Amino acid sequence: MSIASAIVNNTPIFGKMFTVDKSTGLEEINAWPALMIMSSFVWLAVAGLLGLVMPTTQIFDLSSDHFYTTLTLHGAALTFPFSFQLMMGVGLHRSGGCVGKAITGWLPALSWLSMNLGAAILTVAVLMGLKVSVVVMFPLPLVGAQMGIWSMESVIVGFTGIYLVLSCMILWYPLLVFKMLFFGKKRAELVLSERSLNEPGMLGMILAAATLLLTGLPLVVVGTTLLLALYKIIPMSLAAWAAEPVVFQYTFYLFAHNLMEAMALMVASAMYATLPLYLADGSRKLYSEKLANLALWILLVTSVTSGLHHFITFYPNQPAALSYWGNIMSWGTGLGAAISIFTVLATIWQHGLKAEPGIIAVLVGWALYILDGASAIVTSNIVWTYQLHGTMWQSGHFMTVILAMSMMWMGVLYHHYPVLTGRKLDPALGRLYIKMMTIGSFGAAIVMLAGGAAGMPRRFAAWNQEGWMLYGHLILIFGLILGASFVVYLYNLMKSREISAPMGELARA
Amino acid sequence: MLDYVYTGWGAFSATMFMFVPFALMAYYVIRRKSLVDTGPTSLQPSEFAPLEGIWLTFAFIFFVVVNLASLKFIPWATASAAVTGEPEVHVDFTAKSWSYDISNRQIEAGKPVRFSGRSSDTQHGFAVYHPDGRVLFTMLMMPNTAKPTSVVYTFKEPGKYKVRCLEYCGIAHHAMQDELTVVKSN
Repeated sequence: MSIASAIVNNTPIFGKMFTVDKSTGLEEINAWPALMIMSSFVWLAVAGLLGLVMPTTQIFDLSSDHFYTTLTLHGAALTFPFSFQLMMGVGLHRSGGCVGKAITGWLPALSWLSMNLGAAILTVAVLMGLKVSVVVMFPLPLVGAQMGIWSMESVIVGFTGIYLVLSCMILWYPLLVFKMLFFGKKRAELVLSERSLNEPGMLGMILAAATLLLTGLPLVVVGTTLLLALYKIIPMSLAAWAAEPVVFQYTFYLFAHNLMEAMALMVASAMYATLPLYLADGSRKLYSEKLANLALWILLVTSVTSGLHHFITFYPNQPAALSYWGNIMSWGTGLGAAISIFTVLATIWQHGLKAEPGIIAVLVGWALYILDGASAIVTSNIVWTYQLHGTMWQSGHFMTVILAMSMMWMGVLYHHYPVLTGRKLDPALGRLYIKMMTIGSFGAAIVMLAGGAAGMPRRFAAWNQEGWMLYGHLILIFGLILGASFVVYLYNLMKSREISAPMGELARA
Repeated sequence: MLDYVYTGWGAFSATMFMFVPFALMAYYVIRRKSLVDTGPTSLQPSEFAPLEGIWLTFAFIFFVVVNLASLKFIPWATASAAVTGEPEVHVDFTAKSWSYDISNRQIEAGKPVRFSGRSSDTQHGFAVYHPDGRVLFTMLMMPNTAKPTSVVYTFKEPGKYKVRCLEYCGIAHHAMQDELTVVKSN
C-alpha cells in the first residue's frame, strides 16, 4: 500500500469518502490524487466555517480583529489548499488515465506536502496575529510588524507557509505535469481513456502548467530573496530590491493573475474532455476541436499580460500605457470565452446530452464562470475600474472564479470517483447538490457584484455601521445555501455504495 | 445615457446584459437536448458556420464599442486642464495607516480639482463617495514611488463627500475615513 493510500485510510471521516480502490491495479494513478482531493475537502470544511464567521462577526458586532482573521484564513484556505489542490488531484487523475502513466515518486509527495504543510503554517501565522488578507498586500506584513500590530515572528512564519504553497503551485505541480506528459513510458494497463496532447482536453493542462511555471518564477526569486533575509541568511541590504513595493506588486500580480487564468485553462480543458463522454449519441466529439483549442490559445495569450489592469488606478504613478494594455487584453479573454460558449452549446445541440449530475455540475460551474468572466472584463475597463476597484465587486469576482472552477472540478470528480474508490454516488443527492449549489453560488455572486456597484467596500469590518448590511445578510443567506450544498455533496461521498463491476473495465468503457 | 453606463450600476447592468442572454440560451439548449429532444440534430456541421461567424462578430463588435465609448470618461483623458481649459484646484494628500493628511477639505463645485496622493507606509486607497453613497472615483497609492497617484474630478453638487480607504491596510482599515465639503461656487 502506498503512503498516500495509508494516509487516506487512516484519516477520520474524510478518509472514508476516498478510500482507494486497490482491486483494479490502478492504485498508482489513484492514490495521490485521492489524498489530494480528500485534503482539499478538509480545507473546504475549514474555509466554509470561516466564511460563515465573517458576516456573523458583523451581525453581532464582534471585534474587527475576528473579521480580519477569518477574512485572511477563509480566502487563503479556499483559494490554495481547497481549490488549487482539488484541481491538482482531479487533474492529475485525469491525465494519468489519459496518458497511462503512474502518479508516483517524490514529485506528487512533495506537491501534496508543500501545499498542506504550507497552508497549515500560514494558518498558524494568522492565528499568531498576521492578518494580511489572501493577497498579502505587501508591504503590509512588514509595515504591520514595524507598527507593532503583529510580531515579526508571525511574518516569518507566514512567509514560510506562503513560500511552501507557492513552491507547490509554481514548481512541483507543473514539473509533475510535464514529467507525466512528456517523460516516462506509457503503461497499457494504466490507460483508461487515451488522449493525444493536441486534444483540447490535454492542451489546456499543458498550457496551464507552463503558465504557472513561467509567470511564477520571478515571484519565486523575489520570495526566496525575502525569505533568506527574514531568516538572516543574507543581509537585509541584499534583499532591499525585493522588498521594494513596486517590484513585489508586479511579480505578485504577474503570477497571481495568471494563477487564476491557469486554473481556468485547466478546468476549461477538463470540460472539453468530459463533455464528449456525456453526449447522447455516443459520438464523443466536440463541435470543433480546432475552435476549442483556439479558445484556449486566445485565453493564454491575452491573459498573460491582462493582469496589468490591477495597476490602472495608480495612474500616473504607473504608466497609462500599461492600463490600456491590461484593458484590451482583458477584453480579449472575453473573445476566448465567446468561442468556448459557442463550442459547448453547439456540441450539445449537435449530439444531445445525457443529463447526469457530474456533467450538469460541470456546466453549471461553467455558466458561473461565464458570469464571472463578464464581471471581470467589465471591471478591467479603465473607466469602470475607477468606480469598482476595492469594492465588493472585486471580492465577488474573486470568490466567483474560485467557486466556478471548484464546481466544475467537483462535477468532473463525479466522473472520476468510481475509478478512484470503486464506489458510485447517488444521482438524487447529486441533483439536490446541483440545485442548492446553483442557488447559493449565483445568488452570492450577484449580491456581491450588486454590493460593489453600490459602493460596498471589500475586506471591510464595518458594513453594519455603514449601511451595507442588507448585502451582508444576503451574502450570508446564499453562503449558507452554498455551504449546505457542499454538505450534501460530501454526504453523497460518505454514503457512496460499492460497485460490483470491475472498475478497471468500467473506467475504460 | 452613457453617463449612467459608466457608473457602478452601469457596470452591473453591462455584466447582466452579457450574462442573462447567455444563461437563457444555455438553459434552453441544455434542457432541450437533454430532456426534450436528445437525438442528434438534423443540422449539418456546415450550417453552424454562419451562426459561429455571426456570434463571434457580434461579441467582437460589442467589446470594441463598449471600450471605445468609455474613452470619453477616462479620468486622465478627459478632465485635465489641457482638455477642459479650466484652471485646476490642487488637493494634495498623504495616506498613512489609518488616516489622511489632506491639504484642503473645502472645495468649490464646478471647478476641476486635481487630487494627488502618496502613501507613507503601505498601500492605501482614496475613494470619494457621493452623499448618496455612490463611488465617484477611487485611487491607489503605493509607497516608495517617484510620482504621486492623481485624478482630476469636477464636483457638480455641494454636499459632504466621504472619503474611504478601499485597499485593505490592516486591522483598522475600516476606520480610515475622512470627509470633503463641496460648497457652491462663488
